[in-house]
Amino acid sequence: MTFDEVLSRVNDVFVDVLDIEDIMLKYETTAADIEEWDSLSHIELVLEIERQFKVKFTLQEIQGFKNVGHMCDAIVGKLA
Amino acid sequence: MLEQGTSFQHEFAVSESVYQGFLAVFNDRNPLHTDEAFAQQKGFRSVVMHGNILNGFLSYFIGECLPTKDVVIHKQEIKFHRPVYMGDRVTLEAKIDEVSEALGVRAFKFKFYNQEREMVAVGRIQIGLLA
Repeated sequence: MTFDEVLSRVNDVFVDVLDIEDIMLKYETTAADIEEWDSLSHIELVLEIERQFKVKFTLQEIQGFKNVGHMCDAIVGKLA
Repeated sequence: MLEQGTSFQHEFAVSESVYQGFLAVFNDRNPLHTDEAFAQQKGFRSVVMHGNILNGFLSYFIGECLPTKDVVIHKQEIKFHRPVYMGDRVTLEAKIDEVSEALGVRAFKFKFYNQEREMVAVGRIQIGLLA
């Protein structure tokens, strides 16, 4: 799966979990850019992304994500 | 601690004091819950206990019945399949079906059964383990 495909699916997860329709994630997007993305939402987002892509992140990996792009890079790496 | 597949069971009494306490605190006096004739006219055996009493029992289960008190409820969903009446004894059966060690999350599937072993409610509850 390409990075763009992963980003598109992650975007869908954000739409679903955060219940906001007009969201367009970019590589640099962080929680500071999205009002609904708080600590509880973050847990829900990570859990749903793990389910959707059938991957598991470690705590260190999760804490290391600087932005959406970093997370998608990690997903691409796990799927390779 | 609290591993995938771990099961729990706890019995609760839907007593007069539970019912009156819920009424006193939340003041939901809809006739379905307070008027015998109204409830029977709607097809129920008697006044129906508030469904959210079961959510109160869930709160007790999470807060007081697990091996740790370091817990917080994230979210829960419940479907009410059958009415619950005064005097019913409901048994909660809960099983951990999702674990995220990285996020400190546990999710339970649960069912409530009445004393006739009829399923009265089902749902899912997700908690976080506090550091």
